[in-house]
Amino acid sequence: MKEVMLDCYGEACPVPLVKAQNKIKELEVGDVLIVQIDHSCAMKNVPEWARKEGYNVEVEEIDDGEWEVIIEKSK
Amino acid sequence: MAENKKKFFDKVKTNEYYVRWGKNPYTYVTAAILLSLFQIVTFSVTRNPWGVSNAFAYWGAWVFEALGGSVDKWYFFASSGAQSILEEGFLNHAATWRNIGVITGALAATLLASGFKIKKIKSPKQIVAAVIGGLMMGYGARLALGCNIGAFYSGISSLALSGWVFAIGLFIGAIFGSKLLVKYFM
Amino acid sequence: MAEQTRTASSRRSSTRRKPKKNQIPFGLLTVAAIVLIGLWLNTRSTTIAFFWMTGNIFGYILQKGRVCFTASMRDPYLTGGTTLTRAIIIALAVTTIGFTAIKYGYSVAGLPIPGMGFVQPVSIATVLGGIIFGTGMVIAGGCASGTLMRVGEGFIMNTIALVFFVVGSLWGAHDFGWWSEKFISNGPRIFLPDIFGWFGAVALQLLVLFALYVFAERYEIKRGASH
Repeated sequence: MKEVMLDCYGEACPVPLVKAQNKIKELEVGDVLIVQIDHSCAMKNVPEWARKEGYNVEVEEIDDGEWEVIIEKSK
Repeated sequence: MAENKKKFFDKVKTNEYYVRWGKNPYTYVTAAILLSLFQIVTFSVTRNPWGVSNAFAYWGAWVFEALGGSVDKWYFFASSGAQSILEEGFLNHAATWRNIGVITGALAATLLASGFKIKKIKSPKQIVAAVIGGLMMGYGARLALGCNIGAFYSGISSLALSGWVFAIGLFIGAIFGSKLLVKYFM
Repeated sequence: MAEQTRTASSRRSSTRRKPKKNQIPFGLLTVAAIVLIGLWLNTRSTTIAFFWMTGNIFGYILQKGRVCFTASMRDPYLTGGTTLTRAIIIALAVTTIGFTAIKYGYSVAGLPIPGMGFVQPVSIATVLGGIIFGTGMVIAGGCASGTLMRVGEGFIMNTIALVFFVVGSLWGAHDFGWWSEKFISNGPRIFLPDIFGWFGAVALQLLVLFALYVFAERYEIKRGASH
């Protein structure tokens, strides 16, 4: 079980989502992917995608306009 | 006093109604309904639907003329309506104010949600993407006589066939754009 | 209040959280400035003041809802998601009903129908313009409204895109005479009620939108299951 950080600060839509989709495929079940974003749309579409996939998702507001989307590859 | 103010705004931050309407994003459907409502408001008051990109051509013309150019001979600005808009200047151009309003409205929403941050350029690729993408949107919008708002959203809602035809173009373009984006700009 | 729906991963995050600044006062100042500018504009022209206020409202809604017309066109292909696409379809349906009711009212009263300037000629330039615009908006990360909204959110990239959107518009306006002569002016302006009648046009359009909605949802489920 490991934690992987994906730095998407400064990336515009849809880059964070596409990167997260690609990254999660490399991970094992039980691993945690943390997507760091500052794009307010990605803060909505990344968690939405991950929830639809059935993963555990949490959005953490790190600072004004900065978020971490924490995705646990639960299956 | 300053301490009290700080406490007040910290209290606001956790207020249930603030969190629901000021902090958290709205669902896409809620926003879609609200946009529709104000489209209808706009149409019934101004007798025209919402449009965005037509004003940009005038912005370009004002800057061009300020730099010493002239657009008087251009077909696009030849009509008397276009000429009077150019003469009256941007301060008297209602659509210009609406576009600036979209910027300030979004700014207000972001600040009220305590989410404002200047997002700097991460890589030179983003500058290239913004320049090419911006130019294409500008040129394309003039060909189609509108953008995603005037030609697409307002066009289709006006029961215009042109809106649907433009939508097909947009969809094809979005596929091209996605391929380019993944290949060169990611 | 942050304790809701915590997962196993939450244990790590709280330790390194910085104290956040509160931007609400600046937000309220911005709203106050918007209102004051509105009042000033109102002394010059009520029309301009109205445009200003609706622009701000559109900006607020776009930002709060993260409404992105670009994503609604792009995501079905790129990520397989159609949530935004379906929301836009709903907006089209609701706005169609409202617009048509107003137009029909004018028609019944024997008055000239407003907003007919948005029924544009259909020509190859319409499709081509759509393709060019559609490609550009995906690359630039925002359409016309999305670019404006993201300038307000503080994106430097979209600010550059806006500048070149204006340059591109001027370029397009420069070439417009040629396009108009060759293609646009020969295109027919087709207003659907002229063909199908008022009721028929609305019914048909809502039916098409409904079919697109169902298709979009099915497509998303199917694509989600395939990987």
